[in-house]
Amino acid sequence: MTIDTKILLRIFLIIALISASQAIYCQSNQGENIFSPENRLKFGNYLYKEKDYLRALPELKEYLKTKTDDTTQFRFADCFFRLNRFSEAEYNFRTLFSSPTLADESRLKFFESLFFDNDYAALREYSERNSYSDFKYSNEVNRLKYISFFFDDSILPKENEMLNAFPDSVRPQILNYYLLKKFPPAKSVATAAILSAIIPGAGKIYTGEIGDGITAFAATALSAYLAYSNFHNDHQFRGWLFTGLTAFFYGGNIYGSAASAQIYNVRMKFDFQKSVKLFFEERNYFLPEINF
Amino acid sequence: MKFIFMLFFLSAVSLFAQNEFVKWEAAPASYEINNADRHDYTLDRSGFGMTILSVLRNGYYFFVSDLDGDNCAFSPSCSAFFLQAVKETSIFKGALMFADRFTRDINFFKGLNHYPQLPDRKFYDPSSNYTLHSAKIKFNLP
Amino acid sequence: MKIKLSAILIYLLISPSAWAQSSLSIQFDYAEKLFNEKQYFDSITEFKRLLFIDSDGQYSYRANLIIGKCYKEGAKFDDAIKYFSFAAKNSNAPEENFEARTQIIRTNILRRTTDRALQLCDELDTDPAFVDKKDEINYWRGWAYIFADDWKNASLVFGRIDPNHELKILAEKTEKAKVSVTFAKVISYILPGAGAIYCGNFLSGLMSAGWNLLAGYWTMNSFAENRAFDGIVVGELVWLRFYRGAIQNAEEFAVEKNLKISNQSLRYLQNEYKGIKP
Repeated sequence: MTIDTKILLRIFLIIALISASQAIYCQSNQGENIFSPENRLKFGNYLYKEKDYLRALPELKEYLKTKTDDTTQFRFADCFFRLNRFSEAEYNFRTLFSSPTLADESRLKFFESLFFDNDYAALREYSERNSYSDFKYSNEVNRLKYISFFFDDSILPKENEMLNAFPDSVRPQILNYYLLKKFPPAKSVATAAILSAIIPGAGKIYTGEIGDGITAFAATALSAYLAYSNFHNDHQFRGWLFTGLTAFFYGGNIYGSAASAQIYNVRMKFDFQKSVKLFFEERNYFLPEINF
Repeated sequence: MKFIFMLFFLSAVSLFAQNEFVKWEAAPASYEINNADRHDYTLDRSGFGMTILSVLRNGYYFFVSDLDGDNCAFSPSCSAFFLQAVKETSIFKGALMFADRFTRDINFFKGLNHYPQLPDRKFYDPSSNYTLHSAKIKFNLP
Repeated sequence: MKIKLSAILIYLLISPSAWAQSSLSIQFDYAEKLFNEKQYFDSITEFKRLLFIDSDGQYSYRANLIIGKCYKEGAKFDDAIKYFSFAAKNSNAPEENFEARTQIIRTNILRRTTDRALQLCDELDTDPAFVDKKDEINYWRGWAYIFADDWKNASLVFGRIDPNHELKILAEKTEKAKVSVTFAKVISYILPGAGAIYCGNFLSGLMSAGWNLLAGYWTMNSFAENRAFDGIVVGELVWLRFYRGAIQNAEEFAVEKNLKISNQSLRYLQNEYKGIKP
């Protein structure tokens, strides 16, 4: 073996060793890297931006196990919010109430979670506590509180109080809703039944079902006439048959008029809720868009 | 042009983006075509009266209703409504509810009423809306 | 000597990137393993992670394709088509492009948007890159016709692949077994109940005929006895009702019978057919 080849061999060995170690280093490094907390955070943030909240959740959670980071915690809570898992969102936004950077935003989001969770009682209770009420978005929360009165059956606040929470441009519409909520258009079940007892079908006409009212009147009148004419012509059996039919139509109509009045009232409420919901949804409940 | 295409593409993606609210599993799609609904002949065994009534209803289905075509504009049909009504309330109240339904059915202009329509254009009108319990009244389709 | 040294230097430079590559492939294998284990939701997450770290887009085609397959398995067809489209866009060879595009067709078939599937088949047909793939395109076109419940065209298209193609024979058999809806209706106009009997519903047909006979007799009898009002009422409320009912029933029975025949073939295709399915 010449010296040249010996040197060459040594160089080769060294290089092989270096490259092998580098390879091992690289592999472990890369392999760990993908699932390291930092990389999970990066991937989680990417998923969050892609609106894949369900997949972002575990990534952000893994990161939060190793570090406390308000922005990430906020996004983590927001994932629950976007997935309509409001009670988990409430819990996680609450942990940020003393955050130096996101205290106000997380408070707002906390109230939004209560609102969309339909937990109006809690929303009103918290919003009136001093420790919760004085912050950057108090006006927004106040409005949410007033909007919530349209969605349940609790006693409405004073008209002016409510109107003042909203911008001038929508006040006439809010007033309109306020009055509809306070004095809902309703038909009396008893009136409908009594009207139909006096004149068959009248109760239905009273509740707005004119076609049904006329039909009920015609059916009752026709069968009554047939009963009368059959008795008159001494057809006893047919006479009783049509008498029974008359009673059937007459009784059914009284009952139906009462049911119809009740359905009218429920429908009015249903339509009102739909219209109110649409109105506020179109305006995003007057909430600001918080972006990261 | 390219920019517009990209914009459209991106907006389409974000529109699609979130539709996974819960973790899902494999869901094999059936090749079969859904069968049209036929009358439900199942006997109601919740009580002696109900059994008798459902036997009568089945007789009506078999001898008349299955042969005279599709005449009732409502869903559930009048006979099914009657049985539901009796089951939910009593024979007396059920009969009154049926009488009212029958009157509403012979109204030529029932299309002007506020019944919600099912995909097969039938008026959805369940007996639970007529029991005089306002909490039971629903306007949403099943 | 110098040459050797430079060769070694090059090796030194390349080796780390080779290992980085293998870390991507480890992630790919992991995600694919989840797919094979039918953990489709998690598989999508891991493929998305792969796509996130794969800055050169080496895996863009393969990862998007399998994400699409995962969504397809979960019957989330809209998402599946979205990711198959990504795969088609990122394909590196005509073969890959064809695979992604046929997957879109197959998903459309399962989603029962068969018009779209047929349209996409036509697009593939006119693409000069796939002139040698006519049989495969026709195969999926045939499946699209099957899912559109158009067995006649299905048998025609499968016949173009092979006159004795298994699916051609099945489609032909299915088409032949079906009854004619128009015929069932027409004979019911002439003789109420005949349509039902033609469709195999003997009892129903006979009862229809019976009602029509009875109601016809009542109506005629009323007119004969100069009770015109009774005649009109019975004719309108009973006879006409059962006459119309018989025609309607004939149509329904025919449609139902045809549906049964279709479903029998579809069940066979889903459970017993050994060939490749959408």
